[in-house]
Amino acid sequence: MSNLNVKATANNTYDAIVVGSGISGGWAAKELTQKGLKVLLLERGRNIEHIKDYTTATKKPWEFEHRGRITEAQKETHPIQKRDYPYSEFNESYWVNDHDCPYTEVKRFDWYRGFHVGGKSLMWGRQSYRFSDLNFEDNLKDGHGVDWPIRYKDIAPWYDYVEKFAGISGQVEGWPALPDGQFLPPMEMNCVEKDVKKRIEDKWKKSRIMTIGRTANLTVPHEGRGSCQYRNLCSRGCPFGAYFSTQSSTLPAAVATGNLTLRPFSLVNTIIYDKETQKAKGVVVIDSETKETIEYFAKIVFVNGSTLGSTFLLLNSTSAEFPEGLGNGSGQLGHNLMDHHFRCGASGRAEGFDDKYTYGRRANGIYIPRYRNMGNDKRDYVRGFGYQGGASRGNWHADVAEMAFGAEFKDQMTTPGAWSMGLGGFGESLPYFENRVYIDKSKKDKWGQPVLAIDCEFKDNEQKMRVDMMNDAAEMLEASGIKDVKTYDNGSAPGMAIHEMGTARMGHDPKTSVLNKWNQMHEVKNVFVTDGSCMTSAACQNPSLTYMALTARACDFAVSELKKGNI
Amino acid sequence: MGGALSATTIGVFLDSCNSPSTKTKGNLFADDQLKLITEVADIIIPTTSSPGAKAAGVGPFIALMVKDCYPEDAQNAFVKGLEDLEKQSKDQFQKSFLEISPEQRTQLISKLREETIAATKAEQETLDKQKEADANPQKSDPDKAKSQTENAGFASILPKDKPKTEPRFFSIIRDLTLLGYFTSEIGATKAMAYVDIPGRYDGCVDLKPGQKVWA
Repeated sequence: MSNLNVKATANNTYDAIVVGSGISGGWAAKELTQKGLKVLLLERGRNIEHIKDYTTATKKPWEFEHRGRITEAQKETHPIQKRDYPYSEFNESYWVNDHDCPYTEVKRFDWYRGFHVGGKSLMWGRQSYRFSDLNFEDNLKDGHGVDWPIRYKDIAPWYDYVEKFAGISGQVEGWPALPDGQFLPPMEMNCVEKDVKKRIEDKWKKSRIMTIGRTANLTVPHEGRGSCQYRNLCSRGCPFGAYFSTQSSTLPAAVATGNLTLRPFSLVNTIIYDKETQKAKGVVVIDSETKETIEYFAKIVFVNGSTLGSTFLLLNSTSAEFPEGLGNGSGQLGHNLMDHHFRCGASGRAEGFDDKYTYGRRANGIYIPRYRNMGNDKRDYVRGFGYQGGASRGNWHADVAEMAFGAEFKDQMTTPGAWSMGLGGFGESLPYFENRVYIDKSKKDKWGQPVLAIDCEFKDNEQKMRVDMMNDAAEMLEASGIKDVKTYDNGSAPGMAIHEMGTARMGHDPKTSVLNKWNQMHEVKNVFVTDGSCMTSAACQNPSLTYMALTARACDFAVSELKKGNI
Repeated sequence: MGGALSATTIGVFLDSCNSPSTKTKGNLFADDQLKLITEVADIIIPTTSSPGAKAAGVGPFIALMVKDCYPEDAQNAFVKGLEDLEKQSKDQFQKSFLEISPEQRTQLISKLREETIAATKAEQETLDKQKEADANPQKSDPDKAKSQTENAGFASILPKDKPKTEPRFFSIIRDLTLLGYFTSEIGATKAMAYVDIPGRYDGCVDLKPGQKVWA
């Protein structure tokens, strides 16, 4: 299958240009092509063809030379990517060589990136949760950041729309702060999780709930894609197409229209502003293989280059009219960077289930949605956190001696051991103006572009929240009969959750925000930004589903405006 | 790091310095050392009702891993550990480790294990004391502690760098034996239970007699 469309026009002019082919760019390409627009989808990295190019997807553990570990040589070329577990031998080729694309860490910021068709939709964690009015109203209520220009009713039908296509499995709960969606059948909890769920919900009388993770993994065949085979090898690319990615889902739909031109190796360097029309007229692309510069033109431009990738592009698109970056009259472009803080919680040992075991490798866990600072609950911090976690039974035995070896030890290591259950918090961070990115001209990337400087830190509110994130986890586990409960806080640097958000926020007022309620630039009406950079607040839920819904919604608006002649 | 390096050890340096990223296999260790690694691994995970580390090819795997995935100080500690083990064998049994009985091998490895546990524990105590000393000013002076907390507050959310610890031969060879064995075809399918494509997830099944842990 070739994604290159022979019908593409030769003169570099399209109806729409989409910058970036990840989760939101794939959606933009699908929606715009299905509405009849000729679309050029630009991707800075190489092509990865669905299934064919998932080179490690069906490898067995012993077929990896280093059994998943990375080498000293790879640590040298990937000094940022190596900071955490996602960068491993299992999908090594999906992560950037940090020397090609440096950035300046004014403070520590772990920037995980993948330059290829599909972007991080290939490696994402797939947890998919709706935002609720609790989230859309928090900024207005506590005064941090600006008010979201939308409410739940504005986005709810678009959540329905994207969930139906993407395929999200989950359990209906009737929990207003985490609205239900159009779910495929939920995955099953294991026996320990079922018991913990019951005990937590009994003890807190359903003012706290625990549900199976809502995940973009298919529990039944859906839209021509196969269902999950419970291998738990998602991040290598799925040969069954069983999780949502650009390749498995949006790209084939866009290709099927005959309206798509996909151009890999196309690094968008600037958006060209036309002062006559006060609109963007196209983009300047650097061919990332040849370093040749090419211009493409379109009536509308969708910017979906990842939160910081998109903001870099806008900041780098300067003109006499916009000397500080395209559509940056507000001065907010690059500011209000957020990420979730996590890596703290508690875990312990479950008793009473030694005669039970599991079958299959479920690439999903449980979820406890936010309950703090809701209703009458008031803490010494604002906002809240949710938990991801789960129970499992491995080969851990309490009576194994330290550094044991030999036959008896081998027998223990191959016999099912104790059940363990853990809860890890994901906390909201606030949109601080001073958490920002800007262009640093003192360095150049491989393609001769200046680089981004990132100046971001978690603050007092996040720190206070972490105390609850640990203690509440321990309290819930102990209330569930879990033994030997231990809390942990492994620390969290911005970027580590790979949920970077903000820097081109939506808002009512062009003086204090970059985008309007349609993800349209206040100041450049034919430019839409619908990836994580648009986020006005972070909530504590995993954000990708919201990018999908906002993108589909913005595409619908953009095409209707185009048809009306307004843009 | 001592100054008395054997010819083999120098070979390691040259090899790793000249070609850090090449994948030439087996050149890091002399043949006898590779055999020694293999035999130590087979003491750690021996043949029982399922084949052991030697049968699973763990020896060459360890040699490759030490060469490709460990920094120089760990490589040196590893090579020195092999040499020390061989010396111990000769001192105690007047024979190479390769020539002594499994019982004698186990005896030497047990001693090595005890020494490693003791050294690790001593190192940890030193690190804990250091940590306590760093934390102490806060305890002795509440006002100072408060201001320190406030100032350090944001930075203190960041992950702490793990304190640098001494690489130890027995820890490395044991870790790599377990990794190599349980991810090998023999280890995963014969010692553990491996299903390539489970096809479904059952969250609560009865544990069958003799059920091995899932690989």
